[in-house]
Order: sequence, then structure tokens, then C-alpha cells
Amino acid sequence: MEPLAAGQFASSGGDDFPGLLRSRGLLGIAPQFPTAGSRAEMVQTQATTILAFKFLGGVLVAGDRRATAGNTVVYDRADKVLEIDRHSLMAIAGVPATAWEMARVLEHSFQFFRRTQLQEMSVDGKVRALSKLLRDNFGFVMQGVGIVVPIFATYDVREDPAARLYFYDAMGAQFEVADYAATGSGSPAVRGILYYENNWGKKTLAKLNEDEAVIIALRALDTAAESDTATGGVDREGRIYPIVKIVSASGIEALPERRIAALFKKGVA
Amino acid sequence: MIEEPYRWVEAIANRREYIETQLAPGSPLVALSCREGILFFTIGQTRQKIFEIYDRIAMGAIGHPGDIERLRMTVIELASTEGFARSAADVSLRRLAHYSLSPVLKAAFEQIYGAPYLARMLFGEVGSTPEDDLILRVDYDGAIATNAGTLAATARSFAVLSGHRQTTEAMEIYLQSEHSPEAPLNRALQIALDTWTAGQLQGDDSAGQKSPTSTQIATARKAHLRGGVEAAILDRKSKLAIRYRQLTTEELQPLAAR
Repeated sequence: MEPLAAGQFASSGGDDFPGLLRSRGLLGIAPQFPTAGSRAEMVQTQATTILAFKFLGGVLVAGDRRATAGNTVVYDRADKVLEIDRHSLMAIAGVPATAWEMARVLEHSFQFFRRTQLQEMSVDGKVRALSKLLRDNFGFVMQGVGIVVPIFATYDVREDPAARLYFYDAMGAQFEVADYAATGSGSPAVRGILYYENNWGKKTLAKLNEDEAVIIALRALDTAAESDTATGGVDREGRIYPIVKIVSASGIEALPERRIAALFKKGVA
Repeated sequence: MIEEPYRWVEAIANRREYIETQLAPGSPLVALSCREGILFFTIGQTRQKIFEIYDRIAMGAIGHPGDIERLRMTVIELASTEGFARSAADVSLRRLAHYSLSPVLKAAFEQIYGAPYLARMLFGEVGSTPEDDLILRVDYDGAIATNAGTLAATARSFAVLSGHRQTTEAMEIYLQSEHSPEAPLNRALQIALDTWTAGQLQGDDSAGQKSPTSTQIATARKAHLRGGVEAAILDRKSKLAIRYRQLTTEELQPLAAR
């Protein structure tokens, strides 16, 4: 906390938190015009394979636990499904250093907006805020560091209450999806499974109850891990299970590991 | 002119008088520790007077809306950047008030060619027990009054904010005799309303210094309730990081039923 000079009161106008952070030197600014040949040679830590789909109880968001750097498994208990506010989840594939920072900026931005403006930021505003952060990060991406490809799931509690689900590309384009989304290196397999289940499964994804939805998510991540070394899937010996969180009208529920383990035993193992 | 020290003192005294007149019509605010958290309470406001600052910190204020807004923004900015750069646990009301707010208010107040802040503020920071609660009053000249005494005997579980010294005193006397930090929220709400009413009665009858009787309070509070209640709580037990919430109409219902 810095001491204030007399004229320093209220510098941001109260609605641009990233701008405020930059003015205090707390948030890095990516170079906008990277020079040719400046690509980083270092091996970056990456987090992979996240998925989300709408089901009866809202939106389910899941991610495996592995973080890798090149051929090395760096970490096997990473949490890639991050709670941003009471009704929003951001799941990350890409470089965790950047992604966790983005999540932190986003979380604080939404709270800052609500506190200063005395109203909740709209869902479109939130979706756009993440888009802006990705766009601001693109200078780094062009230099070969810090790529992030997130999924954003939220519940619009204002008029016309409904679950909303978006995925992004690295430049910040947002795509709203009707049923499911998956990003990260294991996502081709996940997308195949979700497409299959949605079209030819016993029920469409939107009609699954919570248990069925969790089982499908676990199966999809386990399948992705089968062919993609960067995806952790389910560590049967170490008993490390994916993170599964649910967004609904009543808020966010992080499923306890016991429950995931039980459903894994019932429907996957 | 102000090179002469006594002129400066005179200018400051004038300025103090001017600000006090500006603050005088402000509807009093009460903050008190109870079992469920810290309750903020006021009546008859024409605009919102109780605000969320950070996860565990709330603010109430009287004064000019423009100045209140500037100060509120500043405090939220400071708390939010600190919470972002370090952690929510590092955001402390004591540091905010003593380190950031007070020196600036003092400087603005004493630079007599510039405009002072026309605002008097009340802050609360909820702890895990009522003894850990911090309630602070920050004045337009940067003066800070806190509930936390160095000896347990002087520690108080409440603070009052109003435009008149006599009103503040009357309310404090009432709270001193009636309030206990172990009281449940329902009881705290009733005490807050009665305290607010006691302050008004005192203001109506400036001759008598003695506290109004309970029958006087009972008859007066019905009339005041029509002004509309604004109340918020910093929830002690909530599992959420954000402890601030405005009390709902249902929660305020028992007040009118009495």
C-alpha cells in the first residue's frame, strides 16, 4: 500500500482495474510490435485439456491436473478451473504463469467494478474483459511466450437467466457455444467424445443429470490422456482426479474429490 | 496574510466551523459489533450511505456526495491494488486509515487555499470474534478515533457518526449502557434503531442532557422508521471471501413489528 500524495486521489475513474494496475506498475505490458527473430527459446510450462458443457444442472467445467514443460511433467496437481466470482469460472489451457495472472486480474476487476460502480458487471462486460486481457497479451504470444486459450463459463442471473459458455482463441476472439467446448492439446479426443455423446449418446448433453455429466467428463479426460502425454487424465495409482466444478443459478460448486472418486469407480474404472 | 501564524489558526478555525455546518444535517450512522458480524445502520437517507470497500471492510459516511465518492473510490483503489499485489489478508483497515487516508485528509484540510473534504467516515473491519473487530471513525481533518483501546476496559464494540457532537455523545451513552458485542443480529438491529432514535430525541431537546427514557424512544422510533432503513452487515461466519451484504427487507421486518 503506497502513501498518497495530495493530488493522487481517485486516479482510475473507478471502472478500469487493469488500467489502474498498469499505472501502478503492477501489470506487465506486452510489446505490441515484437521484432522478428525474438522468439523465446525457453521451454514453457503448459497446462492442458479443459472441457465444459451445459447439462441439466448448469454448466460443468473440468480439467485434468497435469502441467508440462516440453517432455517433462512439471506438476500433477494443477487446478486449471479457476473461480472468478460467484457465478463465473475460467478454465485454462496454455501457460499457467500468464493464465493465473489473467484470472487474478479478472477476479479483482469484477469485484472492483462492483464495489466502485455499485452494480454487477454484465455478462457481456465480463466476457469482453477477458477478451481484452487476451488481446493485451498477444504481443507476448507473438514472441512465443505466454499463450493462453481459456474457456469462460458463467450464469447470467439478470434478465433471462441462463447458463452461458464461451471459448476464446489466443488473440481474444470469443465464441459463444450452445452445448460444449474443449481446448488444449488433448481437446481433439475430448471434442470427439462430446460430439458423439451429444448426437448419438443415450441423451443429449443438455439432458444429462449431474452424475451422468461428471462420468462423461471423466471418460473424456481419460480418453484424452490415453493418446496425449500432456494430459494427466486420472492417476489411478496416485488417486489424483480431475477438477470438476459446476456453475448454476445458485453459484459455483466444486465437487469434492470423494464424490469424483466414487463416480470414477462407478462409471469409468 | 497567512504568514502570520494566528491568521492561519483563525483560518483553520473558520474552515472547521464551515465544515461542521455542512456536515450538521447528515443522518447519523451506527456501526456495532454483534455475534454475526459488524452491523451498519442508518435511517432516512436520500442516497446510499453504506458501502462495501473490500472483502472484510465496509464504510459509511456523511458529507458532500462528491467528496464521499472521491474518498470511497480512493479507498477501494488502495485496498484492491494491495489485495491484488499481495493478498486479501494484507489489506488492513488500520493501514488504510492511518497510512493512506489520514495524512491526505489532514493536508487537504490545512492547505487553506485548497478545498477540504466535506466528509466524515466510519469504517468497520470484521474479525473472527467481536474482540477482533476494528471500527474506526475518520474525520475531515484526518483525525482518527478507534474502538480499540489499549486496555480491554476502554475497548468499545461500537462507533457512531453524526453531524453534531451532542448527538454523537447521546448515542454513545445509549450504546454504552445497552449494547453488548455478544448480542445476536436481531437484538443489534433493535439497539441500532433505538440508538438512532435516542440521538434524534437528544437533538430535539437540547436543554436536557439526560438520556431519553425507553417510552420516549418507543414512541419516537415508529415515526422515524417511515424514513426508510439502510442496513448492511460484514458477516463474521460466512464461508465466502466477501463478507459484506445489505440486509434484506425480511431481515429488517422485525424492526417494524415491535
